[in-house]
Amino acid sequence: MSEAVILLILFPLAATIAPLVAKLPVFARRPRAARGLWMASVALLAGGLGALVWLYPTVAAGKAVVYTLGSWEIPLGIALKMDGLAWLSSLLVYLLSVSVGVFALSHREYGSEFYFFFALLVAGMEGVVLTTDVFNLFVSFEIVAIAAYVLIAYHRDARALVASFKYLILSSVGILFFLFGIFLVYRELGTLSLEEIAVYYRESSDPARLRVLRLALSSLVVGVAVRTAFLPFHTWLPEAHAFAPHPTSALLSGVLIKVSLLAMVRLIHTFDPQLFGQLLLWIGAVTAAVGVVWALSQRDAKMLLAYHSISQMGYVVAGMAVAGQAAGSATGILALSGSLYHAINHGLFKSLLFLAVGTAIHMTGERDLYRMPRLGRRAPLLALVFGVGALSIAGVPGFNGYASKYVISSVVDVGPASLLLWITGVGTAASFIKLSRVFWPGAERTRTEQSMEPNPETASAAERSGARLQRRRRVPVSALSVMVFIALLCIAAGVAPRMVTATLGQLLEGGMVAEAAAQAPGTAQAALGASESLKTPFTFAKLGETAVVLALGVGVYLLTQTRVGGRAAHRVKAMAPRLHTVLVLFLAGLAGFAAVAYFAAPS
Amino acid sequence: MSVYLIGALFLIGMWGVITKPNLIKKIIALNVINGAVVMFFVHHSSRSGTTAPIRGDGSAGISQAMMVDPLPQALMLTAIVVGICITALGLALAVLLHRKFGTLDMRRIERAAWEKDETGGGGTHE
Repeated sequence: MSEAVILLILFPLAATIAPLVAKLPVFARRPRAARGLWMASVALLAGGLGALVWLYPTVAAGKAVVYTLGSWEIPLGIALKMDGLAWLSSLLVYLLSVSVGVFALSHREYGSEFYFFFALLVAGMEGVVLTTDVFNLFVSFEIVAIAAYVLIAYHRDARALVASFKYLILSSVGILFFLFGIFLVYRELGTLSLEEIAVYYRESSDPARLRVLRLALSSLVVGVAVRTAFLPFHTWLPEAHAFAPHPTSALLSGVLIKVSLLAMVRLIHTFDPQLFGQLLLWIGAVTAAVGVVWALSQRDAKMLLAYHSISQMGYVVAGMAVAGQAAGSATGILALSGSLYHAINHGLFKSLLFLAVGTAIHMTGERDLYRMPRLGRRAPLLALVFGVGALSIAGVPGFNGYASKYVISSVVDVGPASLLLWITGVGTAASFIKLSRVFWPGAERTRTEQSMEPNPETASAAERSGARLQRRRRVPVSALSVMVFIALLCIAAGVAPRMVTATLGQLLEGGMVAEAAAQAPGTAQAALGASESLKTPFTFAKLGETAVVLALGVGVYLLTQTRVGGRAAHRVKAMAPRLHTVLVLFLAGLAGFAAVAYFAAPS
Repeated sequence: MSVYLIGALFLIGMWGVITKPNLIKKIIALNVINGAVVMFFVHHSSRSGTTAPIRGDGSAGISQAMMVDPLPQALMLTAIVVGICITALGLALAVLLHRKFGTLDMRRIERAAWEKDETGGGGTHE
């Protein structure tokens, strides 16, 4: 049984070998054989799903499966632990990475290097998910980072290179602070294991030691926060996700930032869930609102999506903050499963959107959404899957975004914070109306379509060549079926919100929040059962509220189309920070977290 | 005392990463920070004992209590390797950036990339 846990890392590692073999000179003249090896690589990734199915009964029963590497027992050796939280994150990782891998296979522009780093990224993410000690977390994070830098810069497009370098500098600085945090923990407690840290932290009564440990936690959290990309550490994300190749964008936005966030949840719950609760709630709400304002002012289709990733992560962070504040109580579990629910949903619909928009960019050779020709008639099914993604992110009832936003807004009841989240809802609706113009069925001919040549300024070199090579009238069937698959998942996760939340609560109860559940067995079930609002998520009042939000969204959209709105958007867009500012913002964020940790009342 | 020196090294590295516009200097500064953190660990472990953590046949009269804690050194070996990977990758990116933009000045590179974005994005709102 426990071998299944290590399989989750071994499958992607094995998947890195096939692309390496494909780099052998023998295959240089045999592109079809090399392609077969890439397919084998993606197929090996799919093996992870099998291991997950195998593990499900045990994890669902509330037991954690532990695997010790090389049979070194726990205090000495490296252990991997699979619990409810890890299972859910692994599911997200594997579902999406296999789908995105198939999508990449259907385009011919990705070579052996791509599949190698792709599989390495999955292995690293599984490491982050399964690890039980902070140093392994560091190593896994760096594996993920190295793979991500290469994948972002894969096409060697100028802006992608800049974005990748920016990401490298910022996240390396972040991870060095993480390492420094590990040092502080080791100096104080002499252990690196998360479980032992949790025990010692709760036992330690010396205020000076507690203060050092809290500073260590702030240092660790900031290190992970750079990867998670909430304010003020979000600065690298838009460029990196927008200028990366489309499958990379989908995987980074859909999975990587979630995995980092879940690692942060684990860290915070290991130490002190209450400590940063208030701070993170505000950061989450502000991130959501600010992210959407930026998203609304973008003209670049993928840039808009990337800013939405920041904005949607704001929801997740806010939900997680409430979960931290109310740790151990029924609300806490409800908030945690709500925010996890939204993280998974966002992973699904955002990767769907990135793939759909990426395909549209492919078909038209144009990234500017005002210049893209309308695709609704040319690719109706593509427009349909985009529609599912857009309706999900805008929070329309019946789709998954509505369900999870609903759970989060039912737990975030602090006035200003919930107002900010509500504003975000309006902005999200508006910006997706803006983006959806690309997929409208109208026959409006634009400059690009008349000349049938990609705009040389906007389309990057790689996209130009890609557009020349494979600008086709049709979307590849396998790419389209991947998108339809993810779209179906979006709908499936949305029709039965209560059931999904209950399942999530059950999984989490057995896993990470074990201590809380031990005090009051069945807390999660009680919370979900007692929560009246969840029983009937589709009441008329709620539907009316959604309608109001959507109507306001249309209003905001029309406002951005006016002259004044356009000028304001241009100004907001010009506020994108440079590397220098990015690092200063990072330090400011670090100082904020450290101050909260330092001045927290010793409990 | 030496802890403060290591701390100063850390801050020097931070200063370098933030203020130096040259890509390669930024990467060197990252290495300085990395070195400082490694030294924190090694310094801490070096004070936990008096001899190397090598178990002989016991005749030398070295007890386990006298040995330094070997774990931080093992960890730092990994951290150094990770640091080298990041440095190598960063330098590779710097080479590619230099080829594209003809300069190593991050400010100029970003300005050029941003202008590209502006003209590509269509300049004014239509």
